[in-house]
Amino acid sequence: MAEKTLDCLGEACPVPLIRTQRALSELAVGDLLIVQIDHSCAMKNIPEWANKTGHNFEIQEVDDGQWEIAIERGH
Amino acid sequence: MTTLATPQSIRRPLRAPAVRKERASQLPWALVLLALVVAAGFYLVRAGGSPKFAFIWAIGIALGLTLQRARFCFTASMRDPVLTGSTSLTKAVVVGLAVGTVGFSAIQLAAYLKTGQLADAMKLAGLEPVGMHTVVGGFLFGLGAVIAGGCASGTLMRMGEGFLQQWLVIPFFILGSAIGAVTWPIWKAAFHVQPKGGVYVPMALGGFAPALVLQFGLLLAVYLLADWWGRRSARRAR
Amino acid sequence: MPLASEEAVAHDVRPIAAPDIANDNDRARWRDHETYKALFVNPWTYMTGAVVLALLNIALVAATGKGWGVTTSLAYWGAWIWQAVGGDPHQWAYFAEVKPAFNAPGFNLLKDAGSLTNLGMVVGALLAALAASQFRVKRIKSRRQVAAAVLGGLVMGLGARMAFGCNIGDLFTGLPSMSLHGWVFMVSIFLGAAAGSKLLVKYFI
Repeated sequence: MAEKTLDCLGEACPVPLIRTQRALSELAVGDLLIVQIDHSCAMKNIPEWANKTGHNFEIQEVDDGQWEIAIERGH
Repeated sequence: MTTLATPQSIRRPLRAPAVRKERASQLPWALVLLALVVAAGFYLVRAGGSPKFAFIWAIGIALGLTLQRARFCFTASMRDPVLTGSTSLTKAVVVGLAVGTVGFSAIQLAAYLKTGQLADAMKLAGLEPVGMHTVVGGFLFGLGAVIAGGCASGTLMRMGEGFLQQWLVIPFFILGSAIGAVTWPIWKAAFHVQPKGGVYVPMALGGFAPALVLQFGLLLAVYLLADWWGRRSARRAR
Repeated sequence: MPLASEEAVAHDVRPIAAPDIANDNDRARWRDHETYKALFVNPWTYMTGAVVLALLNIALVAATGKGWGVTTSLAYWGAWIWQAVGGDPHQWAYFAEVKPAFNAPGFNLLKDAGSLTNLGMVVGALLAALAASQFRVKRIKSRRQVAAAVLGGLVMGLGARMAFGCNIGDLFTGLPSMSLHGWVFMVSIFLGAAAGSKLLVKYFI
C-alpha cells in the first residue's frame, strides 16, 4: 500500500480539490493519499468529494488552520 | 449543526492519529478583537449620530463570522456543479434565497398594505436596472470570481482568514470598479442601459400573489435541478 | 449507496481525538468543550450558513430599508482614493446618473452601510478564525496566483458595475426582493463561472 503526500498549502479554492482528484487517479486501489491544506473551504469540499465518490477518508487538524486529509483510493 | 453517525466511526483508522501541534490558543486574540469591535461600534454611533450605524456594523461582523464558520462560498455554488458535480452549496444558496424572499416580501407586503401603493413596496426592494448589461456584467463577474478564487463576499471573508492572495484581489477589484464607473458613458450607450429600468416583478405581474408563486416555483425548480444534478454526478463518480 | 446528504458525512469532520493530554492547561479545556467546539471550531453546515445569512439580510432591510451589498461601496472607495491623489470623482457621469447619493453634501464613507458591512465582514471572518484557533496567514505562492488575483479582481470590479451589483447585491439581495435583474444575474453568473472554470483548469492550476 503506497502512500503519497500532496502539499496544497497556500493554494486557493478549488485548486486543492482538483489536484487531489488528479493525484488520486494516479494511485492504485488501496493506496493512501495525504493532502495537506490550509484552506477552510477545502477541509469541507475535499472530504465531501471523497465521500461522494466512495473513498474512505479521515481528516485531522494538525496545526492552526491546517489540516491533513488521508484518502484511501477505494476503486 | 447536528453531527451524524458516520460509516467512518466503525471502520479501522487509515493512519495513526496525528497529534495537533502544540500552540497557544488564539482565543485571547479573539477576545481582544471583540473588545475593539465593540469600541468601534460606540465610536460609529457617536460619529454617525445614530445607533443605526452600530447595528449595521454588528450585522457586518455577523455576516463575516457566518461566512467563515460555514465555509460559505457563493463562487463554489456556481462553479462546483460544472467543475466537480457537487451542488451542496448551490442548494444551500437556493434555500438562502427562499428564506430571503419570505422575509423581504413580508417587509414589502407590509409597506404595500399600509398605503395601498405597490410603489411603496418597490422602494424597499433591491431594484436595479436589467438589460444586456446585466448579462455581460454577470458573466464577467462569474468568470472573474472563479479565477480570483472568490467573489465579493468570498474575497472579504478570505481577507479576514489571512489569505494574502485576496488582499491582492481587493485593490484590483476596487480599480476595476472605478474603471467600470469611469467608463459608464461608453457601456451605457453600448448596452442601452436605462438607469431607472428596474423591473419589480409584483408590479409587472399585477400583484404579490402571482409574483410569489412564480418566485417560489422557480426556486423550487432550481433546487430540484441542483439536487438531481448532484445525485447524478455522485452516481457517475462511483 | 444512499446518503443522508452529500455534505452530511463531510460535515462531521472532527479531529480524530488526539490522546487526551492529561494537563490542566486552560487552553485544552477551552478547546475541548463540546458546545464551544460545535459553535466555534467545527464548521457549520452550508444550510445553517445560508439561513443565517438570509436572516441577517432581512434584519438589515428591516432596520435600514436597504439590503446587503458589497461592490457599490468598492466603487466609492475607488473614488475616494482617486480624490486622495488629487482627482475629482464628482465629475464622473456615473455618480450623477446612477449613484447621486455620492454627490450629496452629507456623504461620508463612515456612514455608508456598504462600507461598514464590508469592513465588518473582514473583521468578522478574522474573529471567527481566531475563536477557532484556525487563523493562519497564507502567503502567495506563485506568479500564477498573482495573475489570477489581478485579472480576477479587475474583471469582477468591471462586471459588478455593469450588472449594478455582485453575488450579494444582485443575487442574494436582488433576487429575493423580486427584482428581475436578480434572476438574469443568476443565470449570467452561472454561465460566467462555468467559463471561468474552464479557464482556471487550463491556465491557473
